[in-house]
Amino acid sequence: MRLVKRNLILLGSSLVLLLLWQLGASLLDSQILLPGLLPVFSTLLELIEQPPFTINVWYTVLRALQSFIIIVISATLLGLLAGRFSFVSLALKPFVTTLKAIPVMSVILLAFIWFSSGTVPLFSAFLMGFPVMYVQIEMGVLQIDANLDEMCSLYDFPLQDRLFHFLIPSLVPSFLTGARTALSMVWKVVIAAEVLTVPRYGVGSRMQLSQIQLETDKVLSWTLIAILLTALGDILFEVLVFFLAKLKQLHDSRRVPCVS
Amino acid sequence: MRFVEICKSYKENRVFDHFSLDIVCNTILSVVGPSGMGKTTLLKIAANVLELDAGELIKEDSEQGPISYLFQEPRLLPFSTVFSNVELALRSSSQNRKERDELALHYLELVGLTDSLALYPSQLSGGMRQRVAIARAFAHPCNLMLLDEPFQSLDIKLKYSLLEAFVSLWEERKKTTLFVTHDPKEAILLGDAVCCLGDPTKPLLYQQINIPRKARNVSDTSLLALEASLVDALVNA
Repeated sequence: MRLVKRNLILLGSSLVLLLLWQLGASLLDSQILLPGLLPVFSTLLELIEQPPFTINVWYTVLRALQSFIIIVISATLLGLLAGRFSFVSLALKPFVTTLKAIPVMSVILLAFIWFSSGTVPLFSAFLMGFPVMYVQIEMGVLQIDANLDEMCSLYDFPLQDRLFHFLIPSLVPSFLTGARTALSMVWKVVIAAEVLTVPRYGVGSRMQLSQIQLETDKVLSWTLIAILLTALGDILFEVLVFFLAKLKQLHDSRRVPCVS
Repeated sequence: MRFVEICKSYKENRVFDHFSLDIVCNTILSVVGPSGMGKTTLLKIAANVLELDAGELIKEDSEQGPISYLFQEPRLLPFSTVFSNVELALRSSSQNRKERDELALHYLELVGLTDSLALYPSQLSGGMRQRVAIARAFAHPCNLMLLDEPFQSLDIKLKYSLLEAFVSLWEERKKTTLFVTHDPKEAILLGDAVCCLGDPTKPLLYQQINIPRKARNVSDTSLLALEASLVDALVNA
């Protein structure tokens, strides 16, 4: 019941948003300033039917995925080291503080001077997403329950059990928060970098080219695609987390002996 | 187990100063005392996690080796089931999975948690969590048991039912036990002897209790007198 109510509220607020859009379009009455829902959705369908669509989306997804995986691996490793050894945390502090403060556009513009247009989105997304995940993992390590750690020592838990039953599960919430935030940031930065650097293929490149030709309906269609990609990424992530949690529960329940 | 002329200070605060205390092997010594008078320090010294400034801790052969510790809070692994929380404490001593499963099940049965094996700590009440901790402490094959106010902050009914569960498990296999508490009643009901801390150089009170544990009644005159002297010692400490 609660889920139905939640979905109804979400659906209602989405409809209000679309209604406001249509209302704005009717008031402005200009295809260039703000096209209505119908032209935008018909352009969207046209775009989907055209062959370069898949390749444009694919390149954006590939860039986002590549940078996300690099962020997850590097931020997890360095975050673990920083949480465990304070000298690593101190050594990385200037680097992380700079990355947290630097404007996205500066990173993209500088990266464009150093790299080819295809590499810029990947590089920029990494630099923007890395500190988010790194800080979460470092905090996760620092917040590991010292009382439980003491209990594991007093009860002589073997290293492997301490790792799989205490340390890794303790870090999972920080890992998930960091990964979720980094993932939504990656999409935004990849597309922003594609807009500025216009690589041959990419959702951002198409947006930029459509904007130059004042095709606002196409700009909005590509924006909708970007929103859908972000939402789809989030949903896939949540589904993955849900199934992994279920798998763990199943494994745990199999370990429990049946008592008749 | 004997604490011989032990000294322990935290900066300027001298907690033990040539302090000596004996615990008869395979008995329970209840330790009461005001906060900051070294109750937990005594447990940590017995657990070998705190180094002495001077003096010696002498353990009998049967008290050497693994230790079970019951903490103020249950300290269960939040992502492991009730069963796993107990079974994990057996892994260092037994490689045989079937044997571990049987032992864990046995102790969980004794504390009345057979129906909750697959639950996680967050799904249990405070009393049930403490029961799991008790089962874990007894399942762990230890030679020395240390209890750091494990029954505090529980309601009176639950406290007495857990005390009962503890006693029946302890009687099954007796081991040297140091039981720290704030509550003189708890101390009297559980201990073979009671000791009150408060002076860094010597116990303020040390009293053997000769009434069998199961026959003890808090309204018994001699126990009431002992409780009164414990309260008196605590108030004047």
